[in-house]
Amino acid sequence: MTFRTKLFVVFTLALLVSVSLIAAGVTVVTRRVFNTLNQQHSEALVAQFEREFARRGQDVDNRVQGIADAEATVRMAIDLSRPQADVSVYVNDARGVSQSHQLDFLDFVGNDGSIISSNEWPARFGYKMDWVTQTQDWGPLGSFLMKVDTQDGPAVGLMAVSTVRVGDKNLYIVGGEKLGKDFLGSMVLPAGMRALLYLDLDPSFQPSDLLDPSGPVAQGERFASFIEQERAVPREQSFRILWTGDAASAEVFHALPLLGRQKELLGVLLVGSSQHEAVMLERRIAVLALGVVAMGLLFGLLLSWWGAARVTRPVRRLSEGAREVTEGNWNARVEVRGVDEISRLSSAFNQMIEQLSEQRERLVQAERVAAWRELARRLAHELKNPLFPLQTTVENLRRAKEGSQEQFEEVFQESTGILLSEIENLKQIVGRFSDFARMPQPEFAPVNLNELVREIARLFEGQFSAVGRPPITPELHLEQDLPLVQADATLLRRAIENLVLNAMDAMPGGGVLMLRTTHRDGDVSLEVSDTGTGLTPEECERLFTPYYTTKQHGTGLGLAIVQSIVSDHGGRISVESEAGVGTSFHIHLPSKSTQRAEPGASAEAAIPETPASASTEVAEASAEKAESTESVRNEGA
Amino acid sequence: MVLGVPFIGAGRAEPSRRPRYGGTLRVEIGAVVNSLDPAVTPGNEEEAAAKEEIETLLYERRSADGSFAGTAGSGPFRIAEWESGKHLTLAANEGCSGGRPFVDSVEIQMGRAVKDRLLDLELDRMDFAEIPAEEARRAAERGIRVSMSEPDDVVAIVFVAGRPAAEDARVREALARSLDRAAMVNFILQKQGEPAGGLLPQWSSGTAFLFSPAADVSGAKELVAQIGRSAQIVLGYDSGDSLEQSLAERIVVDAREAGLRVAAQALAQGTAAATGRDARLMRLRMRSPHPHAALGGFIAALAPVAGLDAAPLAEGASAEEIYERERAIVSGYRVVPLVWLPQAYGLGARVRDWKAPSAGEGWPLADIWLEQESP
Repeated sequence: MTFRTKLFVVFTLALLVSVSLIAAGVTVVTRRVFNTLNQQHSEALVAQFEREFARRGQDVDNRVQGIADAEATVRMAIDLSRPQADVSVYVNDARGVSQSHQLDFLDFVGNDGSIISSNEWPARFGYKMDWVTQTQDWGPLGSFLMKVDTQDGPAVGLMAVSTVRVGDKNLYIVGGEKLGKDFLGSMVLPAGMRALLYLDLDPSFQPSDLLDPSGPVAQGERFASFIEQERAVPREQSFRILWTGDAASAEVFHALPLLGRQKELLGVLLVGSSQHEAVMLERRIAVLALGVVAMGLLFGLLLSWWGAARVTRPVRRLSEGAREVTEGNWNARVEVRGVDEISRLSSAFNQMIEQLSEQRERLVQAERVAAWRELARRLAHELKNPLFPLQTTVENLRRAKEGSQEQFEEVFQESTGILLSEIENLKQIVGRFSDFARMPQPEFAPVNLNELVREIARLFEGQFSAVGRPPITPELHLEQDLPLVQADATLLRRAIENLVLNAMDAMPGGGVLMLRTTHRDGDVSLEVSDTGTGLTPEECERLFTPYYTTKQHGTGLGLAIVQSIVSDHGGRISVESEAGVGTSFHIHLPSKSTQRAEPGASAEAAIPETPASASTEVAEASAEKAESTESVRNEGA
Repeated sequence: MVLGVPFIGAGRAEPSRRPRYGGTLRVEIGAVVNSLDPAVTPGNEEEAAAKEEIETLLYERRSADGSFAGTAGSGPFRIAEWESGKHLTLAANEGCSGGRPFVDSVEIQMGRAVKDRLLDLELDRMDFAEIPAEEARRAAERGIRVSMSEPDDVVAIVFVAGRPAAEDARVREALARSLDRAAMVNFILQKQGEPAGGLLPQWSSGTAFLFSPAADVSGAKELVAQIGRSAQIVLGYDSGDSLEQSLAERIVVDAREAGLRVAAQALAQGTAAATGRDARLMRLRMRSPHPHAALGGFIAALAPVAGLDAAPLAEGASAEEIYERERAIVSGYRVVPLVWLPQAYGLGARVRDWKAPSAGEGWPLADIWLEQESP
């Protein structure tokens, strides 16, 4: 992801989050406002109900008192106060009186609590209404709620009791209004709100006991759990009912328990507030917010894209300049505009590139000089050894010339032999340098690596047990069924021989030379291990560097040539060494080399511009105990 | 009780004068009689009763089985004008074997409500009307001349045979024990009747005192406790009979007090059937003041509904046998007598020589005469 894209994403996210937060904030605030309004409406409705309740109660009280004060009632009381009074003549009076006073319930109750006449249940004459006589003075009590038994079943009434006293006998007038749908119908409700009344008339919740002004409430059973809670513990509470899966169908109810004189639950007033308007407004706000977000995003995208492009342009120039430099164009420079941080960075970049370029030139020059010096040192060192016998031999010849002919002849024969030998030695030195400089192209053919290893072991058998030096024990661990590898047998032999020679040099006191072949997942591996003194980690790191050697007479080209050969075969070579234990070289070759590195690429990379030294072998010289692993992969480097 | 008191609330004294012929007797009845043809069956009990009363005026005598003999018009009156279901004018039969009636004619208005009849009586726009017994007291208080017969109607709960809700005799007994018949008489009948423990009233059988009508609520509750939870008993009553309705509602209250569940349901007006009900209220009128005939009539009416033994009483059955049969009926609690009711009549101020008819007798309109207003 580019810097510009990142900047664009950051801008967009910041914009999205900001707009979303604003939209969410507006929604939350709106919801709170609606909830507060709903609560206020509910409280107002409950207060209205309580006022209406009190007003109705007072009205009922007045009407009952009016009946008690009526002349006919007083006459009835006087008549009933007489001994052996005939109460039967009044049995139907309650009906007419209740109709004239618009009361749903009316009972005339005698001094002993017997019902003389009942409107709501005319046939109950003669039965006792003992609770009436248990209160001496009903006047201050006013109205109250009570469950009333009627001919059609129990009902809840807003009741009042008045007393007409004649002598020592009372006539009780018990009257009231039925609490039901008519009562609800008299309440004025704002839009979106409704009042329900549950009358606790049955042993358990019955949906038919839940009324609205038109009758039983539809889906009344949905209130069952809330009503049962009220039945268990009467208290004011609020709850929410979702009528359908749509949130707009939700309705919040405020429950107000209606208690009787003994604080028993007689009913529950439910003030419902529809959430439809609130939810719809929330949705409208949400849609609006989404629109704003979408528009903001679109605008923000364009703005962010433009802004990101403008902000990142100098950075891109810097990036391009850096890329050109990495590609080798040390003349690349970044255009500098303005005086901001990016401009100062660009100026610094240009300055840095100029300095780096100058330093690089100086470094290359210094490295070239150093390389030539190293090469000259190696050549001088290598050539100095044969030159000294040559010089001595020539001087011997000159001295012999001054002597007898026979003596000269003898010296001449001996000297020419030495001269030829040393010249041959010089040719070999030159040849090795020449070989490294011009590695041959590998010619691939199926090669049995096990067979190749056996041949090399046989070749070196004599040297392993040569007279005058401690013996070296070869151990061959060759895996059966080793697949053939595509390789140049000659070059591969040369590489393995180099490793064997190195191992022998690393074991001047004798030891074990192990050659092991394995294969896994199509790769064939060869391990050449010795039990010599081992290498330090620093030596392991530089081991494959051309002209690097730890031996007195090495050219530093042996392992570089091995690495070059392995790379030309598409393989890789690594070294493990532990001071005092030994060193292991691992060569990994693909069994079927389909991917070939450019032959000689590795050698060319390894010997870029430095001339080769005269040394040809690597020696294990360090006596320190160390363990190191170095892997060189065939990546053309 | 008004036994032996033919008139109550006689607000207007009846002057003692010699009978006079002439005048039109104005009669109002509640029933609607649609046909006077003996072959046509009346639509309901009320119409049947009214038709029977009219027939007593048209026919000379009854045959042995209670049906009328002779031809229409052979009695004290003949039909002068007939408007089916509305109006009937009878003219005095000059050739009646029992003598000419005192009045020249009788005008009968049909389908008049009780309150209208009472109002017309109060305003003296009418001379004769049957009124409900429970209204007699109030009518008298309003200054209306009211005449009461001996109690000859019995109202009883009749349990319908084969209904599972009332097959347990203990349920029926518990209900019978729970009933406060005295309260029914005092409040509903306004003391115009008697609590009935048996089917026949004391004045007829002389054994009614052996059937206690007293309520036994504790006994009823004990029975209910023995039974456990019983099925609801559906009690039917005639929707056109306000007295039956009041009694049924009181039965519901009394039963509830004892722990029984009874629901009162109205039956179609005048229907005898009680389909779908476990019991119904039946109002039976004595055919005769004689206990043998009266009980025989009750048995004939009750047996099909309650599944009683319908065998008639033996001819010449003794008082003991009649009592035993009545006891057998009542002790099974398939028939639970409630109250005995008298017949109440409202009389206009000019009606003279009125005598309330005995059980089984028709209105004695041929025997009354009208006081003529002074010219």
